[in-house]
Amino acid sequence: MPVDSLERYSRQMRFPALGKAGQEALCKSTVAVCGCGALGTVLANHLARAGVGKLRIIDRDFIETHNLQRQILFDEDDVASNLPKAEAAARKLRAINSTITIEPVVTDIDHTNILALVSDADLILDGTDNFETRYLINDAAVKLGKPWIYGGVIGSEGQTMTILPGETPCLRCLIETAPPPGMTPTCETAGVLGPAVSVIASFEAIEAIKILSGARAALNPCLIMVDVWDWTFRQLKIANLLGKVDCPCCKGRKFEWLEGGQGSHTTTLCGRNAVQVAVRRDEPLDFPELASRLASFAEVRHNAFMLRFAAEGHEFTVFPDGRAIIKGTNDVTRARTLYSQFIGS
Amino acid sequence: MPVVRIPTPLRPHAGGVDKLDLAGSTVKELFDRLGEAHPALRERLFDGEELRRFVNVYVNDEDIRYLEDLETPVAPGDEVSIIPAVAGG
Ligand SMILES: [Zn+2]
Repeated sequence: MPVDSLERYSRQMRFPALGKAGQEALCKSTVAVCGCGALGTVLANHLARAGVGKLRIIDRDFIETHNLQRQILFDEDDVASNLPKAEAAARKLRAINSTITIEPVVTDIDHTNILALVSDADLILDGTDNFETRYLINDAAVKLGKPWIYGGVIGSEGQTMTILPGETPCLRCLIETAPPPGMTPTCETAGVLGPAVSVIASFEAIEAIKILSGARAALNPCLIMVDVWDWTFRQLKIANLLGKVDCPCCKGRKFEWLEGGQGSHTTTLCGRNAVQVAVRRDEPLDFPELASRLASFAEVRHNAFMLRFAAEGHEFTVFPDGRAIIKGTNDVTRARTLYSQFIGS
Repeated sequence: MPVVRIPTPLRPHAGGVDKLDLAGSTVKELFDRLGEAHPALRERLFDGEELRRFVNVYVNDEDIRYLEDLETPVAPGDEVSIIPAVAGG
């Protein structure tokens, strides 16, 4: 890369611990951002501005007005345009930094696709909002020996932890199993403050910059807990869990989420009165064809990224990969039925 | 007395308070006292006599799993924290 193209990074290169060598390492790096909601937009914003050479932005969802309070890359035009989050984020990020590569991927991360999505990445970042995907990321990262950074936020508090497989405890060393549905609050039930998300995602981003620029010695080895309302900041010592805990993942090398023994393809979207039905297809859905089939009884809108219609009191949002989000029910079986009735399988 | 810090999502089960001063010389004894005062809170943390697998307990920022688990000794002034998994984002 020519020297003057690094000029845009001059202010961070003057930070001695990063320097020119660190910047050049960032520019050569590839990062997979898993989930592009509240955490993911802050992560992607920091890393694009910092000059990470390639960002893969993976998200299954579309933008709604109630996302705008905390998902910093999106605006009202994106809601009106019915853009998927990954695509809208990519457009913003390219406007922020046209010298890097942004690769949006509109898909639901699952055990069939995660290895392909992260295998060329130097680092995996957690921008998800659920434990199912986090344990899947943990399995993939441990199996591939790649670093990843966990982050979670609810209300005014959040946690983050950096995982270097084999060197530090993994997510299952820390929390052996995900809490069952209903046992922990979600952003939909307990609310979430934008600044709390920004704090946790910014901690994730700074640890990402350390890993990518070769400054691993500066990483924080603790589980970080912050409450921005109470002004508490804690660093819990977890390093000794490695080896002490009989971890099925990083010690036993049993990758239960990756092998598909855990997780499902039809999931209720917690707190949203909606179900996602994922039916994988070899070829993308033919939206004009589907729209014409539905046209006689529903008003159908579609663009290249999604098709939306309402039927039987439910709103359907269908993606080219065959996935649908069906609003107006929490009943998985009912959702499967509706899917096969209106979309086909 | 040692103090047990209650995380926000569990405070409704502890009368709304963010910490409880409890008597005891081990983590187990503290949680026994806690269970007498707030049985619904104990139910959230324990499955029978075992801590639920998604609940972690720290004494002064150290995970009890590499100390002596529930038998970890506590002294007056020690801080015991219940750390739940945080899902959102
Ligand atoms: Zn582990």
